[in-house]
Amino acid sequence: MGEHLDKHTLKNGMIILGEPMEAVKSVAFNFMLPAGAAVLAEGFCGAGNVIADWIFRGAGNKNSRQLNDALDGLGIHRAESIGSSHITIGAVLESDNLAQALDLYADIIQKPRLEKDQFELAKQLAIEEVHALDDEPRHKVMLKLREQFYPHPLGRSTFGNLDELKNLTAEKTQEIVKNNFNLSQTIFSVAGKYDFNAVCRQMEEKFETRNSKFEIPTPPAFGPGESAYGHIDEDCAQVHIGIMTGTVTPASNDYYNMRMAVSVLSGGMSARLFTEVREKRGLCYAIGARYHGLKDAAGIMCYAGTTPDKAQETLDCVISEFNRLGEGIGEEEIERAKVGLKSVLILQSESSSSRAGSIGYDYYMLGRVRSLDEINDKIESTFVDSVLDFLRKNKFKDFTVVTIGPKELTTR
Amino acid sequence: MEFKEKRLANGLDLIGEVNESAKSAAVGFFVRTGSRDETEQINGASHFLEHMLFKGTERLDAFEVNKAFDGTGAQFNAFTSEENTVYYAAVLPEYVIEVTKLWIELMRPALREEDFGIEKNVIKEEIAMYKDTPSFDVMDRCRTLHFGSHPCGNSVLGSEKSIDGLTVEQMRDYFARRYVPANIMFACAGNLDWDQICSTLEEACLKWQGCVTGRKLEHFQGSKKKERIERSNLVCEHICLISPCVSFQDNARFAASLLSIIIGDSVGSRFFWELVDKAIAEAATMQYSPMDGTGVMYSYIRCSSKNVSKVFDIVGDIFHSLSAEGITQEELQKAKNKVLSALVIKNELPMGRLVDLGFNWIYLKEYRTIEDDIEAVKAVNIDEVNSLIKQFKPGDFTQFTIGPASNG
Repeated sequence: MGEHLDKHTLKNGMIILGEPMEAVKSVAFNFMLPAGAAVLAEGFCGAGNVIADWIFRGAGNKNSRQLNDALDGLGIHRAESIGSSHITIGAVLESDNLAQALDLYADIIQKPRLEKDQFELAKQLAIEEVHALDDEPRHKVMLKLREQFYPHPLGRSTFGNLDELKNLTAEKTQEIVKNNFNLSQTIFSVAGKYDFNAVCRQMEEKFETRNSKFEIPTPPAFGPGESAYGHIDEDCAQVHIGIMTGTVTPASNDYYNMRMAVSVLSGGMSARLFTEVREKRGLCYAIGARYHGLKDAAGIMCYAGTTPDKAQETLDCVISEFNRLGEGIGEEEIERAKVGLKSVLILQSESSSSRAGSIGYDYYMLGRVRSLDEINDKIESTFVDSVLDFLRKNKFKDFTVVTIGPKELTTR
Repeated sequence: MEFKEKRLANGLDLIGEVNESAKSAAVGFFVRTGSRDETEQINGASHFLEHMLFKGTERLDAFEVNKAFDGTGAQFNAFTSEENTVYYAAVLPEYVIEVTKLWIELMRPALREEDFGIEKNVIKEEIAMYKDTPSFDVMDRCRTLHFGSHPCGNSVLGSEKSIDGLTVEQMRDYFARRYVPANIMFACAGNLDWDQICSTLEEACLKWQGCVTGRKLEHFQGSKKKERIERSNLVCEHICLISPCVSFQDNARFAASLLSIIIGDSVGSRFFWELVDKAIAEAATMQYSPMDGTGVMYSYIRCSSKNVSKVFDIVGDIFHSLSAEGITQEELQKAKNKVLSALVIKNELPMGRLVDLGFNWIYLKEYRTIEDDIEAVKAVNIDEVNSLIKQFKPGDFTQFTIGPASNG
């Protein structure tokens, strides 16, 4: 599809990836820093959330107010997110302001002030966020599901654990920043309108060549998923149901067969879950399944929200749709899944922030960036037989189920 | 970018902005109807009707509709507000006509009784879901409290009771009154063949009939009432504040949107520095919502129970200082930078462009380029923003809170 990939490695080892886009005036960039929830030591669950706030409370020669005013002055739209493997610090802005923005981010990442009084505020906010999650059962159930499904610490909550957050100290958190903001293991991706040579020159100049000696731990290898059922009793209007079952990782040869299977199950409004659970039975408003992939473990995760009287029927219906998938898939279903996946690929390729995210994700997961043509060809080379063959070899055996609501369910 | 427009003989407006360098296109029907056009007996009908359109026509059942959409790879959906119901799809250029034909067909739905019965359950599940989303629930309830007897206070979803009581005949009658050609508009943006789209619509939609149906437009100052309800399962206090503001038809809407950024953008605003940065509230934002003939400023604040009174003191101080001293030149410039970059980023996607294109036409019957909006934002001066503060007094608000039972 004609897109081009820029790639360069800085002297300090940081990988710079870029995808120029002709039709846009914006530019988006992401720093993927190896400080995600799963790579932190025991006892510091939630530190990432504190760090993502704390580093913006002053950096280099600017205090918190000056730094934020400078970011606002450039019209930057910020996005920080905590994942299992990385803290991603992202921005999207008009391309004329890119160089000034990178100067600010070089300070935020390398010279955050990390002042103690500011730490207490960042920590307090992280604690309040965990409390706020209690009021959003739809969101909370999916975090609990991941915690239960993945072998510890891969599924660790990215929001944090209340006790561990309360015990967190400024000293320890500073140490995590020093160790884990390891530039040699950082991936920087940029997409949109930019000059790659200028970006590389500036990054080489602004980012130090010396490096943290800290070895980022590799999370333990994938063990079998836990098939337990967890329930949190709460007096809410619906029972919020999370269901997850293991599948192949993004690097697997069967990745595209798996993606097709997930699409047949829940790719669009004609897919099986929507049709069976919502359209035919009227059990739910929100129902859907999607792929969730880490580097060393992955699953298909499903959410359904329904009032207590219908909750058991909903859970049974969803599980039976998973199990029915391997029994047969129609040519038409595969065709629709192919069109859907290919279309999403092109629609997302018009957004600079979406592309910056994708190329960084690919590089981390696969060690290279897939071209849109390659993805397109791989999708095209799946068939009913290859998807069914995959499903036979990888039967859905164990389901991890978590529910939040006024009624406990039975898993069979 | 090239703007195109055409009005069919029955009053249906077609507009488009062609951009041949885009990789995709977006199309949509904008219907000028929503909960403010409902009576109490049929509250929730607009949103329920939006669901029913997907249930098919005399020729297609629901599964066939879903298959037809998915067969084009379209990202499609619909939404209903107090005053608009919008059906849209983002799609690759080769499928534009197919998707347009599908929407045209769905705009004349069968509204079958058996589908109506099943979908009623889905709507009630949606109502239950939002009950479990206090950040949404508090805004919905506050809007109702703010608007009192003004129709903009009608809930978009309706209540379980109003949905239970709604009959398919009432819905058919509502459809016949509201989905008339002069109350509908088709818009498209991106990489598409305008002539072909136009002839497709002309051929299929000319037979649509029905008389123009009005809407009473009245500005409303708001009830300024204050209410709180308790929920035993909640941990945080969810606060919504609403004050009146200018309508979409008012040129001061650009100043109003800048004011909301200055007071309540998620970072760098007055709410941010006084409430969030100091960890007194976990979230505090303000949004300007311009509507037909009226408008409101919504604030949403989430904090722990122990901080509630502190939050209200600080919010009071913020509004007091705004009315006493106004905003600063520096604040205005920062807000402009944020709004301008957001405009550029949003409009890079045909889907983002479709929304602005459509609403400018719905409210103003006017085509505005992105550059027109950029110029209008740049031209706002400090006096315009300060006079909005004087005129609408954002500190004089309607207030609704939902929180845990322990807080007296």
